[in-house]
Amino acid sequence: MIALILGAVIAVAAVVLVSLPFLRGSGDDPGTSTDLQDRRLMLIDERDRTLAALKELEFDHRTGKIDDTDYRALVGPLRRAAAEVLQALDAEE
Amino acid sequence: MADLGRAALVVSLGLTLYAFIAGTIGALQKRRRLSDSARNALVAAFGSTVVAAAVLAIALVHHDFSFVYVYSHTSKGLSTIYALSAFWGGQEGSLLLWLLVLSGYGALAAVLNRRLLRDLIVWVVPVIAGIASFFALILVAVASPFQTQVRALDGLGLTPSLQNPYMVAHPPMLYLGYVGLTVPFAFAAAAMLSGHTDERWIVATRRWTLAAWMFLGFGQLLGAHWAYVEVGWGGYYAWDPVENAALMPWLAATAFLHSVMVQERKGMLKVWNMILVALAFELAVFGDFLTRSGVIQSIHSFAQSSIGAWFLGFVVATTLFSVALILWRLPLLRARTKLESALSREATFLYNNLFLVALCLTVLWGVLFPVLSDIFLGQSRTMSRPYYDFFLRIFGLPLLLLMGIGPLIAWRRASVRSLLKTLRWPIGVSIVAGAALIAAGAGSSRPGLIAYTFSAFVLTTIVVELVRGTRATGSLAQLVGRNRRRYGGYVVHASIVMLAIGIAGSSAYATVKEQKLKIGQSMTVAGHTVTYTGLERQRSSTANELRAVLSLSGREHGTIKTGINNFFTGDTSKAVGIHTDWLRLEDTYVIFDQQEGNAVFFKVLVKPLVNMIWVAGFVFLGGSLVALWPDAREQRRLVARLALARG
Amino acid sequence: MVALAVAGVLAVFLLYTALGGNSTPLLQPSNLANHAGTISLTGKVRGPVTGDAKVGGLQFGLHNIKGESPVVPIVFRGSVPDLFKVGRDVNLTGHLDAKGAFVANQMTTKCPSKYTATPNKTA
Repeated sequence: MIALILGAVIAVAAVVLVSLPFLRGSGDDPGTSTDLQDRRLMLIDERDRTLAALKELEFDHRTGKIDDTDYRALVGPLRRAAAEVLQALDAEE
Repeated sequence: MADLGRAALVVSLGLTLYAFIAGTIGALQKRRRLSDSARNALVAAFGSTVVAAAVLAIALVHHDFSFVYVYSHTSKGLSTIYALSAFWGGQEGSLLLWLLVLSGYGALAAVLNRRLLRDLIVWVVPVIAGIASFFALILVAVASPFQTQVRALDGLGLTPSLQNPYMVAHPPMLYLGYVGLTVPFAFAAAAMLSGHTDERWIVATRRWTLAAWMFLGFGQLLGAHWAYVEVGWGGYYAWDPVENAALMPWLAATAFLHSVMVQERKGMLKVWNMILVALAFELAVFGDFLTRSGVIQSIHSFAQSSIGAWFLGFVVATTLFSVALILWRLPLLRARTKLESALSREATFLYNNLFLVALCLTVLWGVLFPVLSDIFLGQSRTMSRPYYDFFLRIFGLPLLLLMGIGPLIAWRRASVRSLLKTLRWPIGVSIVAGAALIAAGAGSSRPGLIAYTFSAFVLTTIVVELVRGTRATGSLAQLVGRNRRRYGGYVVHASIVMLAIGIAGSSAYATVKEQKLKIGQSMTVAGHTVTYTGLERQRSSTANELRAVLSLSGREHGTIKTGINNFFTGDTSKAVGIHTDWLRLEDTYVIFDQQEGNAVFFKVLVKPLVNMIWVAGFVFLGGSLVALWPDAREQRRLVARLALARG
Repeated sequence: MVALAVAGVLAVFLLYTALGGNSTPLLQPSNLANHAGTISLTGKVRGPVTGDAKVGGLQFGLHNIKGESPVVPIVFRGSVPDLFKVGRDVNLTGHLDAKGAFVANQMTTKCPSKYTATPNKTA
């Protein structure tokens, strides 16, 4: 008997949960992303990548893993790349 | 009650199928409510699976022998913990456990990410639901845990060697690992299905992958420890197909964990990462197939049931699906950057991956060889231990070395000069260590010597990193707190080094001796003398226990008892005696081989540093947990980034 | 460069197998006849079991786990694994001697068919 009741409860709960979105009538907004958003996502990825690389370079330099010569050689191009990405992102606004 | 269990599983099947179909349609046609409904269905499926699991668990604890499953795997005398552990002791129960963990993980992943990663989740849900519906189908139609019979008076009992704490923990831990690999796979598939192959899927699944990998690794160590103390042949890993079934996905996942770092920093290796995550998932399911079908002759061979065919079909179908997806999205995944130098951190990650995957494929080849040779050569042949040992050295030793070089080498391009400068301490220490080891006699095994020297190298690099970092940030706690992934990773590396030391010591430098002893006689092995002093007999609830008592003298002192259990069911098993020297981490391992009147044939093994392996397990856990620890700052940054992306 | 590395790995592999890689045939009593060299033999133990594994060798018969087959006489010298008894499935490593008996020095037992992590005892 208990089994039957419990079983019915589960079934009902499942049906309710599944139909909830339709009952709420939240509407079918697209929530899709356009090409513009995809480009932004890629640019944001690149921005985060370059900034993280800069941060890591600074840290490695500070801890002595990268010596002054190598640091000077690497930091310039990285800073330029970061500036480029930030500019591109601003342009997308 | 069995009816409730059956019904709950049918509900789970219905819900996962609905989530799969509705989710797919919702994602294709961009119908938000349908996608939400599918997500809810997955959560509800977890709920009904919990009910089914509870029914089985309760039946086990109450010794309800009207359940065929409870009858087959437990008995009245079994304690609660072991009765409960029988849940995963058999085919049907372990399948239910898999479904439980899968639906739980799926529900959690879908709910946690429903706002931030909506465009991915609409695809993650049907992928996970599709996989879950396969398992639900098997549970409903092929292997039901809820078969009933006329209630029996007592059950058949649990295999004695499974009545052991390690065997209670080992399967669930492995499952948390195996099944956990489904989540990154689902996200990868979702990234390709949605066309959004940017880094978000990797960032979202980073912790899932790490957690699954941690469970899978620790689970294997639990199994190895069980084999060592309970099965008792003196070893902990036999390269048995069922053992390899867990090793292969773990190796693939290790490669994946490393190569995603390259993708995150350089935007490279996107295709490779997709292949790796799919490989890890497929190997996990394939491993499950291997274990269940007994298709490959293995000491762990199991019942040949039709389940094998179902699983094989599932593996083939999902593999084809992954390959098709990757081929379809190849243009999207093409990298715009490439490797600048063969001497850079990116390159070392690549080498690390190559060795790991090579090792993984070597093991796979060894596992499949009997089947393939049967088909193509007409005769089944098997690869034995030397095959695996050879390739473990060829690929494993360079991997060990790379663990030391990788963290210290610069990104993009490193000069030999700067590399040698940063590595001067590690190189120096390893040369000194090597010389000291040779003087101490470690030259008796060349691979062992190399392993030890490389280990010294890697440990020094870790210490150097920690020292340098602490000097720069001021405190170790701050250093680790700000860079949890990196320093947690270093601790994990240290644990792998400890593992290597333990394996090298206990295999390359072990001593074995067999001798027949009469009471009062002794034998000496590698500085330890064991003297046979007498026999003891005891009776437990399941067996008559015969024990030979030996006293240990020489380097260590103590008493060792080793013997045989004669179970009332008619089986016998050996109970080995182990004395551990915790200072040297060395074990004196005694096996009661055979009795002859008043004399006993003993086999004594002295295994140096074997306990390093178990200690390594805890360090491994600790390091992984540090790397896994939630980082509030990182979370804020992620939210900000995603909000910005949505515009 | 990746291609080179992959080629290198494959080369190592091929070299190993070419140098007489360590594979052993996996046989049953029904197809054992006339094989030379080290063999891995699997079958079901058939009584009577006589002798001593430490002195002179443990003797018993082995036949196919499934289906008809001749009974192969086994002489085993070494450590007898757990769960060894008549009717158990075992795997033996050894070779055929001139008299048609299979002389083995390693034996492992398979647990009766159950999906469990079965205990294996290698000797």
